[in-house]
Amino acid sequence: MVDNSRPLQESATLTQDTSQSSLLSAQGLSKSFGGIHALSNVAIEVKAGSITGLIGPNGAGKSTLFNLLSNFLTPDTGEVLFDGEPIQQLRSHQIAQQGLVRTFQVARVLSRLSVLENMLLGAQKQTGENLFKVLLQPKQLKREERQNRDRAFTLLESVGLAEKAYDYAGALSGGQRKLLELARAMMTHPKLILLDEPAAGVNPTLINQISDHVLRWNQEGVTFLIIEHNMDVIMSLCQEIWVLAEGKNLARGTPEEIQENSEVLEAYLGQ
Amino acid sequence: MVNYFVFLTISTGIFAIFALGLNIQWGYTGLINFGHVAFMTIGAYTTILLSMQGVPLLIAVIAGSLLAIVLGLLVGFSTLRLREDYLAIVTIGVSELLRLIAQNEEWLTQGTFGLQNYPLPLGEFNPNWLSKGIMIAILSAIALFAVWQLKQGIQGEFQTRKQRQKIARFPLDLGIWGILAIILGGIIYFNGVIALVNYTYKAGLMLLILVTLTILYAIVQRLGQSPWGRVLKAIREDEQVPRALGKDIFWYKLQAFMFGGAIAGIAGAFYAWQLTTIYPNNFEPLISFYAWTIVVLGGAGNNAGILLGAVIFWTYNSVTRFVLPNFDWIDDARLGAFRLLVIGLILMILMIFRPQGILGKKEELTLGR
Repeated sequence: MVDNSRPLQESATLTQDTSQSSLLSAQGLSKSFGGIHALSNVAIEVKAGSITGLIGPNGAGKSTLFNLLSNFLTPDTGEVLFDGEPIQQLRSHQIAQQGLVRTFQVARVLSRLSVLENMLLGAQKQTGENLFKVLLQPKQLKREERQNRDRAFTLLESVGLAEKAYDYAGALSGGQRKLLELARAMMTHPKLILLDEPAAGVNPTLINQISDHVLRWNQEGVTFLIIEHNMDVIMSLCQEIWVLAEGKNLARGTPEEIQENSEVLEAYLGQ
Repeated sequence: MVNYFVFLTISTGIFAIFALGLNIQWGYTGLINFGHVAFMTIGAYTTILLSMQGVPLLIAVIAGSLLAIVLGLLVGFSTLRLREDYLAIVTIGVSELLRLIAQNEEWLTQGTFGLQNYPLPLGEFNPNWLSKGIMIAILSAIALFAVWQLKQGIQGEFQTRKQRQKIARFPLDLGIWGILAIILGGIIYFNGVIALVNYTYKAGLMLLILVTLTILYAIVQRLGQSPWGRVLKAIREDEQVPRALGKDIFWYKLQAFMFGGAIAGIAGAFYAWQLTTIYPNNFEPLISFYAWTIVVLGGAGNNAGILLGAVIFWTYNSVTRFVLPNFDWIDDARLGAFRLLVIGLILMILMIFRPQGILGKKEELTLGR
């Protein structure tokens, strides 16, 4: 059960900023389902250009936090700033349009569409997504579609799925779906990707590949916030780690600090 | 015989248009609309009532279609946020509601007495040889367009299979479908030419329906292959994905619902012109399920499948209507029930052996989520 008597000023101290500018910052986020407090007064900050980790034991509220940040769930209280603008009153697709794109814990692909179509769906501001423009501006549509296909193929090649471009996405293996989901998120030209357990249920070789892709895209300027249980992945990728436990902020720090934090160890291993 | 084939072509055309609308809603977007006939009711009554007031037919049809869009907006706006099964319940309710309004608001619709003697398209038209020639030319143009579409479709399918299954030879089943389609199209075309030479009102209506169907088919086909159609299909598969990729899924569902409704509204106008008198009973929920039968038969999400489904449905319908009475083991009262029973049986057999529909893709069924 959540301990409500615990002082909450902890989260306030956690959000004290350092010099680097933050791309995403949230404060005082709370969400209850019925009587269950999934999250209470949680803060998080992701610095521009960083790879930030989000860890915590099962049921700590990590995925709920992702849902609140992307507005797939509406927070009860709290404030989310993305790129300096408040976004919690935006609808989830508008948040994605601003460049904050999420993935899912269990990779979601559109089974009965081809891998390529899955990718093309990610392209933003397509003329052809307007019913009337499809009929009135066929040339513009064709040109954009060609550009988007080129970009899709470049991304698919980089994750090794180009050969599967015309297969049904539903025919992909679990690991390939993760790759497709990642590449599809990249298709949107995101500023920040929320990655929910990219390494879960994936074989070690593929885990390394996924880590490499994340690092490479990060160098190209994409910021990442990653939920992951695989500590090797988290410790090797992230510059900063936030720890949640029982719906509250527990700690934040560099990988080294977190590894030595006795509270974190306690939360994971139990008293 | 010629006139009978004209009747069949008209019925098939109307229900092909009607089912194209449902295909947008269900085949592409996955919206379960069990009250599709509601759009037809609106389209039919609006067109007829306006034209009886002297409004030109074209404008009346457009008005009917616009009102169908408004209906789609109202119903969609209030229910599309709910889970999909609720939409099914609400739509069937709305269609019955509209039929009952048509039945009871006698000042407007004359209730169960029905509407008669309304203006018909080309009703007063007495073509000379020149205009007959033009009409035959139009029919020929449609036939050419159909052949071209067939070629495109078969080539496209061949291409996809090459990419997906790495086959090299031209597959036999595509060839058979092509030949069947050409025979079928040929019958409709030559019968149409004969009917236009010996011009009657129905022949003109047939041509009008074929023109409308061709235009709508081309539009729906183009939209279905566009990024717009891609978003709809994505919503059908898993709406959280397009949502996470920045698509306003509610707005797209609403568009699909309204657009499918607009098409059904146009079908409604032609339905009324074919019947030449309309009663509220012409718009029973059964009509919605005719459209469902057609979409399921042909293959959801496949526009060519819709055309095939409509042809099969009406061929069955007329064969059983005119062949079965020749046997004396069944009386008229039981015949109607028997025909529906057999349709149900056919659908069940189809669901067991080819659940994706006749032109649907088998692989699509075996894919996990």
